Amino acid sequence: MDLLERVQYETPGPDEKLALDAAALAGHILLESGAEIFRVEETIKRVANAYGMEGEGAFVLSSGIFLTEESHKHGFYANVKHIPLSGVHLDKVAAVNQLSREIENGMHTPEEALKKLNEIKHMPEKPKIAEILATGVGSGCFCYLFGGSLFDSMTSFFVGCILSVFLGVMGKRKKRTSKIVLNITSGMLVTALSILFYLCKIGDNLNHIVIGGIIPLLPGVAFTNAIRDIASEDYISGTVRMVDVILVAFSIAMGVGVMYTLFSRMVGGIVLW
Amino acid sequence: MVSQFFAAAFGTVAFSLLFHVPKKYYPWCGMIGGIGWIIYLLISPKMGPSEASFFAACIVVLLSRFYAIRKKCPVTLFLISGIFPLVPGAGIYWTAYYMIMDQFQNAMSKGYETCKIAVAIVLGIIFVFEIPQSCFRFGMKTENP
Repeated sequence: MDLLERVQYETPGPDEKLALDAAALAGHILLESGAEIFRVEETIKRVANAYGMEGEGAFVLSSGIFLTEESHKHGFYANVKHIPLSGVHLDKVAAVNQLSREIENGMHTPEEALKKLNEIKHMPEKPKIAEILATGVGSGCFCYLFGGSLFDSMTSFFVGCILSVFLGVMGKRKKRTSKIVLNITSGMLVTALSILFYLCKIGDNLNHIVIGGIIPLLPGVAFTNAIRDIASEDYISGTVRMVDVILVAFSIAMGVGVMYTLFSRMVGGIVLW
Repeated sequence: MVSQFFAAAFGTVAFSLLFHVPKKYYPWCGMIGGIGWIIYLLISPKMGPSEASFFAACIVVLLSRFYAIRKKCPVTLFLISGIFPLVPGAGIYWTAYYMIMDQFQNAMSKGYETCKIAVAIVLGIIFVFEIPQSCFRFGMKTENP
């Protein structure tokens, strides 16, 4: 059978298209919420299989999904999407995972699945104040773990809170802030605040306050995912994420270093600590 | 030691909130983070920080997989928050600090140590994930994941 003939009578039915849309959307949510590559591929395949399609044509990178389906029965389907990471939302990963298993057990029609996925996609955010306090508590606790006194931890808590506010403001900007600039300035801000608090005699040891302050900036999620991608032989995505990790870590160190240098130059080389 | 455990646990819970882990999993995340950190503290004086990181990472991954199967949710939820105390944040800081202070010897050794810790965590994660899923099912009533 030649190609023209095939194209003519194999238009995908509405249900097949919806089902594949649902599979693609499930993958989309997972990828942008910080799931590993193999989980995204697995989920797309699981959803597609549940609706009687193969789902073998899914190719997932750390920044995009390519999904095609071609068979004698269902015709052609192609879906290519660029998906930037929009912030870690592990609750969405859990919810999509749960939903995909329900779909596998035949509990949802494609329309229902799409509706549910859209609900998951627009899950309510945590209130801003909770985020700010959590960043502060994280900073304080980790300052204590890395050898700070309770007084240091308290200072670190405030530094973390202010850092969170700063990150929130930068996130609201219309033009997307470059990751390198954002991490360097955040590192600088943490260091500057810590020095300021320290000079006002709030806190015992400057080093520990800064360590606590930079902890929320660390790319822990990207690091873990990079490892797991490389371990499951998704080398392209793993490498990209690892480069991201190294870049962010380097930027933070740079921000801290720049601020220290600036400050010691300003006060004329007096040792601060 | 007890205060260290609770600091690690609370820190882990704070970060799981930032990563939007559902509320019902907070206690498990905190416990995994706390235990990982205690293991690190116990082993670190005897064998050095990178070896301690390796074993702590192994324990964190084991616990994460154990609870992921029991709670029927992706292992990422527990793993990402639980591994956070082990990520060498302080190492990055000290490397930058010595660099600024023109102490290159110290900066090199700190940077090297930080990399070693990172590699140790990587190995810990990879090796424990090679253990087949069925090994984590012992003592469970239902066989379905």
